[in-house]
Amino acid sequence: MSWRWALARRVATLAATGGGGGAQAQRLLPTSSAAAGTGLLGQHHMPLASQIRSKVVGCRGAALVSSRWLHDAQYQVRQDGASRPQEQQDPFELVADELSLLANRLRSMVAAEVPKLASAAEYFFKVGAEGKRFRPTVLLLMASALKFPLSESTEGGVLSILADKLRTRQQNIAEITEMIHVASLLHDDVLDDADTRRGVSSLNLIMGNKLSVLAGDFLLSRACVALAALGNTEVVSLMATAVEHLVTGETMQISTSREQRRSMEYYLQKTYYKTASLISNSCKAVAILAGHTAEVSMLACEYGRNLGLAFQLIDDVLDFTGTSASLGKGSLSDIRHGIITAPMLYAIEEFPQLQEVVDRGFDNPANIEIALDYLRKSRGIERTKELAREHADRAVKAIESLPDSDDEDVLTSRRALIDITERVITRTK
Amino acid sequence: MCLRLCRAPVVGCRGAALVSSRWLHDAQYQVRQDGASRAQEQQDPFELVADELSLLANRLRSMVAAEVPKLASAAEYFFKVGAEGKRFRPTVLLLMASALKFPLSESTEGGVLSILADKLRTRQQNIAEITEMIHVASLLHDDVLDDADTRRGVSSLNLIMGNKLSVLAGDFLLSRACVALAALGNTEVVSLMATAVEHLVTGETMQISTSREQRRSMEYYLQKTYYKTASLISNSCKAVAILAGHTAEVSMLTYEYGRNLGLAFQLIDDVLDFTGTSASLGKGSLSDIHHGIITAPMLYAIEEFPQLQEIVDRGFDNSANIEIALDYLRKSRGIERTKELAREHADRAVKAIESLPDSDDEDVLTSRRALIDITERVITRTK
Repeated sequence: MSWRWALARRVATLAATGGGGGAQAQRLLPTSSAAAGTGLLGQHHMPLASQIRSKVVGCRGAALVSSRWLHDAQYQVRQDGASRPQEQQDPFELVADELSLLANRLRSMVAAEVPKLASAAEYFFKVGAEGKRFRPTVLLLMASALKFPLSESTEGGVLSILADKLRTRQQNIAEITEMIHVASLLHDDVLDDADTRRGVSSLNLIMGNKLSVLAGDFLLSRACVALAALGNTEVVSLMATAVEHLVTGETMQISTSREQRRSMEYYLQKTYYKTASLISNSCKAVAILAGHTAEVSMLACEYGRNLGLAFQLIDDVLDFTGTSASLGKGSLSDIRHGIITAPMLYAIEEFPQLQEVVDRGFDNPANIEIALDYLRKSRGIERTKELAREHADRAVKAIESLPDSDDEDVLTSRRALIDITERVITRTK
Repeated sequence: MCLRLCRAPVVGCRGAALVSSRWLHDAQYQVRQDGASRAQEQQDPFELVADELSLLANRLRSMVAAEVPKLASAAEYFFKVGAEGKRFRPTVLLLMASALKFPLSESTEGGVLSILADKLRTRQQNIAEITEMIHVASLLHDDVLDDADTRRGVSSLNLIMGNKLSVLAGDFLLSRACVALAALGNTEVVSLMATAVEHLVTGETMQISTSREQRRSMEYYLQKTYYKTASLISNSCKAVAILAGHTAEVSMLTYEYGRNLGLAFQLIDDVLDFTGTSASLGKGSLSDIHHGIITAPMLYAIEEFPQLQEIVDRGFDNSANIEIALDYLRKSRGIERTKELAREHADRAVKAIESLPDSDDEDVLTSRRALIDITERVITRTK
């Protein structure tokens, strides 16, 4: 909860320096994000987020509240200008509140007539694993990074309302993306055990599979309905393509032939389908909803694509190295499942004899050791990291190519998106 | 005018989509010329659109051809010609499209109106294709859920290729359907079909997680039946009308037709599961009761013989229990009442067609008669 302390500190500083509404600032704002500065109006005092919330939720609903929270929280920090340049804002924190909002909306959207399904799906929406916040975070930041400049919008002004409507729709994209992602996870978990079903099969196993398939279908259909409700067929098209790619990617993975398994090209294509397509298409959808040009939409798409690829490549490395720098300490789950990833493919390029070892399969752990040995000798890990860095750089470039803006929200979000690429590359788990 | 002569010049110039509607037109023209025998022959409604259906089947096959052949063959499995059941939905939809045609003045070949009409036809054909894809996707997933050994007498896909591939193939079809839907550029239609997909899932969920109280309820059963069987055909009928630009009223009529047709179909299905091709009870496959699915006939029987409820609650793992239940069913009017309910729905479907705006176009009238004919066949079929 370190961000709350940071916020408390800032609020206290505000109060101490006598910034507007000082006494009230003592009252903690548990749900405001501690965002880096925004630049809008000058000196005049804005009411606290918590006060706005009670007014706004009554009149306009939760969706508007979230963007106002973001706005007001940022305004408050702005007053504390001095300390800003020193802290590197955690990009995930920038949208933490909005994410909670989304998670809650998702949960209620998912609440089905049949509770059993909802609990199966909910499993994946539980707060906790940071990985689950990844896509929505990127999408919300992208939405902010693409904001059109608005002139001074007065409270309740038409422009302001339209901007909030757009934000809600972009949030819907984030929700839809999560639903699609979780649906694919649920389906991927279905075990292929048609043979053993005749033998001993526990009821739990059967119910698990059935429920997983149904829950996945359920999420997918909800996503379709939500997509249709956006009333934008280009967006429907993009997300439908993303779903198609997920399926294709998974199929490529389970039915790779020998030749295909040697091919870096095939592997990268599969990786795009399985990991990058969803995030890149949803980034593009966010841009399209905002009414951006094809050019800008492409840039958003490029960011997502390169980010996704970089993420997966590092994932591949970590599967070998784990949290330590040394090889073989990772979970090695890929290789145990016979999935040949980038580091190994690079190693095979350097040591053709490794190909035979790989072809033998990895049911035998001794074979795994031999392969790891070659990998150690090779530059496989390094080259994969280099490739990941390349993609991260391209993602950064895409952000930097976005149309100029002097809106602080926009600049902060773009910095955050760039920051994310760095975190993706340097993470150790 | 010989059908074959027409086909040759047209295919070269304008493409398959136009050919199909000309085929339909010419086929009907031929029938019309043979006026005397027409009144006597009940035109097989499925034959009216047989050629167009082939066109659709081929288009579907190529649409489904994925970069990964394995999946395409998995999906194709279901588009193989054979089981008549597979032609049902597209037939109804194509006939509905014809039944809703707006009157055109004599359209000259190549005239704008003619081209627009053909474009519309293609889009309506797309709805038929999309509907099939959604239907097959749900079958693939249902087979995983049921651990089905056979579907329509052929080894089910999941047995041959494993659960995972079935799931994937279903997802694949669903995503292709979504892409095709988006390409139509009509969000109301996307919405309708998305709702249909959601209903399929809800229906299946209702089926596998019925509580005891719910299993006794005719209302719950009819709701589930709507979701699982009628929603898809009713929403796609409506989509066909919407694409043609019809009013909300007309669209509702087509929806009503589809809905009642679907319900009638399922109710007769329930009966046939008990009776099979013979009139006598217990000769059917009894697959519903073996899976513990309590359908309309049984629910009616329970109304008459409350003690049957206990037997049903005991479950049907024990085949002796099945015999007892069948006994009650025989004594009851369960089968008859189900047939009566099916007849009711069939009548409503007919009424919906008869309430469509008047037309004196022969195509339109023939198609409407065919749609009515289909409701009759649904009610009187024995398999």
